[in-house]
Amino acid sequence: MRPSGLLLLVAISMSMAAPASTRPHYGGTLRLAMREAPASLDPADSSQPGNFAFRNLSRLIFDTLVTLDARGQAQPGLSSAWQVDPGNQRWQFTIRRGVTFHDGMAVSSDAVAASLRTANPNWKVFATGEGVIVECDAPTPNLPAVLALPRYGIAKRSGGKLTGSGPFAINRWDPGKKLTLTARDDYWGGRAYVDSIEIDMGKSFREQIIALDLGKADLVEVAPDQARHAALEGRRIEGSAPAEWMALVFSRDSQSADEGKLREALALSLDRESMNNVLLQGGGEPAGTLLPNWMTGYAFLFPTMVDLQRARQAREAIRQVPVWSLGYDASDPLARVIAERVALNARDTGLTLQTTNSTLADLRLVRMPLPSLDARVALSQLAASLGLPQPKFDGDPASSLFAAESSLLQSQRVIPLLHLRTAAALSGNVKGWQEDPDGSWRLQNVWLETGKP
Amino acid sequence: MRCAAYNSRISLATATPGMLTLLSSRFVSSVVLVLVSLFAVPASPQNWAGAEEQLAGKIVSAIGPTTTAPTTMAVVVLNRSPLSTAMTDDIRRNLLTQLAVLGIHFVPVEQAAVTVQVSLSEDLRSYVWVAEIHQGANASSVVMVSVPRPAALSVEPEAAAMVLRKIPLWSQPERILDVAVSDGNPARMLVLDASGVASYRFQEGRWQPEQSLAIVHSRPWPRDLRGRLVLGKDNNKDHPFDAYLPGVYCRGSAGAPPAMTCSYSDDPWPVGTDPFSLNASFTSSRNFFSGVLSPAVGQLTTAPAFYSAAAVPGEKATRWLLATVDGQVHLLDGITDQVVEKLGWGSDIATVHSGCGSGWQVLASGSREGRGDSDVVQAFEVAGREPIAASAPLDVNGAITALWTESGGTGAVAVLHNSETGRYEAFRLTLACGH
Repeated sequence: MRPSGLLLLVAISMSMAAPASTRPHYGGTLRLAMREAPASLDPADSSQPGNFAFRNLSRLIFDTLVTLDARGQAQPGLSSAWQVDPGNQRWQFTIRRGVTFHDGMAVSSDAVAASLRTANPNWKVFATGEGVIVECDAPTPNLPAVLALPRYGIAKRSGGKLTGSGPFAINRWDPGKKLTLTARDDYWGGRAYVDSIEIDMGKSFREQIIALDLGKADLVEVAPDQARHAALEGRRIEGSAPAEWMALVFSRDSQSADEGKLREALALSLDRESMNNVLLQGGGEPAGTLLPNWMTGYAFLFPTMVDLQRARQAREAIRQVPVWSLGYDASDPLARVIAERVALNARDTGLTLQTTNSTLADLRLVRMPLPSLDARVALSQLAASLGLPQPKFDGDPASSLFAAESSLLQSQRVIPLLHLRTAAALSGNVKGWQEDPDGSWRLQNVWLETGKP
Repeated sequence: MRCAAYNSRISLATATPGMLTLLSSRFVSSVVLVLVSLFAVPASPQNWAGAEEQLAGKIVSAIGPTTTAPTTMAVVVLNRSPLSTAMTDDIRRNLLTQLAVLGIHFVPVEQAAVTVQVSLSEDLRSYVWVAEIHQGANASSVVMVSVPRPAALSVEPEAAAMVLRKIPLWSQPERILDVAVSDGNPARMLVLDASGVASYRFQEGRWQPEQSLAIVHSRPWPRDLRGRLVLGKDNNKDHPFDAYLPGVYCRGSAGAPPAMTCSYSDDPWPVGTDPFSLNASFTSSRNFFSGVLSPAVGQLTTAPAFYSAAAVPGEKATRWLLATVDGQVHLLDGITDQVVEKLGWGSDIATVHSGCGSGWQVLASGSREGRGDSDVVQAFEVAGREPIAASAPLDVNGAITALWTESGGTGAVAVLHNSETGRYEAFRLTLACGH
């Protein structure tokens, strides 16, 4: 059984060169650091910021009836099947059998109904033998995708204690500081690979990257403007599609045609390319829309280029120009530099913007994660968060989405600036990393190379 | 009430001819030829399901009645998606044809009453074709259509010393654990997934669904679910197959209709194939074999925990290679358990009888530099202790999730998770002798 000379030649020229592809290992503790410091883990707590970190944590602890896959399509979660009546107002969801909360109690239809009522008091939710019926006050053809939002995570609330049915149970919770989660062996979707996850909260980006470099963390957040630099320094950086929206949002509707012209002048004066290339170090994309092009396929129709000539023409047509205040989040260094650049661009057109930390400003610089991978749900949620009219979707999916978003932009309440990529730095032993295009992490699929089986 | 459609299995009406399989060695040449011709050549003109016609209709509607008859138009098509130049040209040609049918007359831009810029874009799920229509001094209008994105095509590898051939068997959105094809007239195929065993009969040039047998279990499956199908010996009609899943054993039985009985079981799984049998205990809450072997490999009754095993037949005895959980490859010769250094193999290995070289080769999964999360499979000869590459690595468009030697040993069934489509694809791997 001697190999031939030809085989030896093959051996020299064709061996696999990269580290082996291997099956996931079980075990170990994944150590995370994050900037946010939530005081509550309750998915229905509307006072909590709708940021990436809260979303990622919520999905570890709480199941939703429906989940969205990476293409934004609804998949069964705690609900194994669903049906809708003609009219899209009355939905029936069958609860997956044999699922328990972390305290061992069954996830019953009563518990699911109670949780949904807490999350949305406007819905009528009834428990049936094997499921729940949700009656909405208006046709809601996208209800499954709506129910995939983290705020509809199914939680049992009793005696001030919060319990979920997700892949990880809360082991220790020091609000705003530290959270330790333990993998559930009996999770219906299969036990997560790591045994536990430890999350340090309230850490600045700098503290996080130091913790990673010192081997005290396995996974940390990286600011969009720092991702390129962190990668150049040899760190392992994983980034999402542009999934965070940054925009200027006026506190009220335009009161006159003149004010509309000034808003148009401001929009035309913004040098988004420069903001992205210089301030963000390429950590995003210039945006002319609320939803990014990868989600809609039509965002390129909306211009993002600076046009100083048209901006000045629009500005010069108005005799009395007010001074606008521009509010931003003072705890966000990136928001500060972008706000200052916006004011600078506006000045080139003859508009005066005064930056302020106050929440009572004429316009605010807003940063929001894309709420959903379903484009219609994402647009509706963004509109609701900004206090804009709810978009209406009539006709075929692409055209109706385009019409709805065009209508929101024509209101001149928002001036889109950028879509930012989220980024994470990972240690070399973190495997199976999965991130959805909207920046959501799937940590239940992560495993550690050093973990013992 | 009407049911919301989600997570549906592949529609057989849209199943591609690639779901053929190699039925038996008698048909190797002809079937491979058919499959190579179907999968190796560039795609034939894509069926865009009338999208060009739809877009042309929307453009003409948006223009409305014009003062000139026929309407003169200039059309520019820009590709903002991964569509190939050939496909873009194809779409442009078909769109112009449809517009001409609707009475549009094409002229250079400077003579056109209407100019249209069509952008071939995409969103998360579909291609989105957007037409911006400019008509005189009017504000431009926009119309669009969305077109479902088709699955990617696979391509045969280059020829090498031994040629590893990849023959598509089946594709579905749900994770495939194993596939077994039995000879006969008609041939039958069994597909094992988390929900059960589905059987298909080869008729009229494609696999037609025959029956689905559900696996009832109350314990959750592990996240990296594995399973194995073993056909009954000598086409045993009373006991056509066994299915092994973590903590569950299912026995297929003939009858009218055929049935399957499942029970909780920690019995060892067969990891070899005739004539080289070896059974190993599977850890039911994880994704690996515990290392307890039966029968023993020579004097060895235990080995390190492992993911997969491959027989290495020899003149005197059969040795076994194990891809162990710690990332190494162990060679069990019946007396010693030795680590084979620096192979770079992945977790999945299997033995294939090719008749080339030493007669038996080991297939191993692995990764190739710069290929991201896409794996490769490569054949190796194992003479002495050092496996030596016997074929070029075969690129697969995704991660290998299963690799099992087929009953009979002439091929292996591999399952990959296609990184582009998100679907699971099972295919048969065989080795052809070199030139």
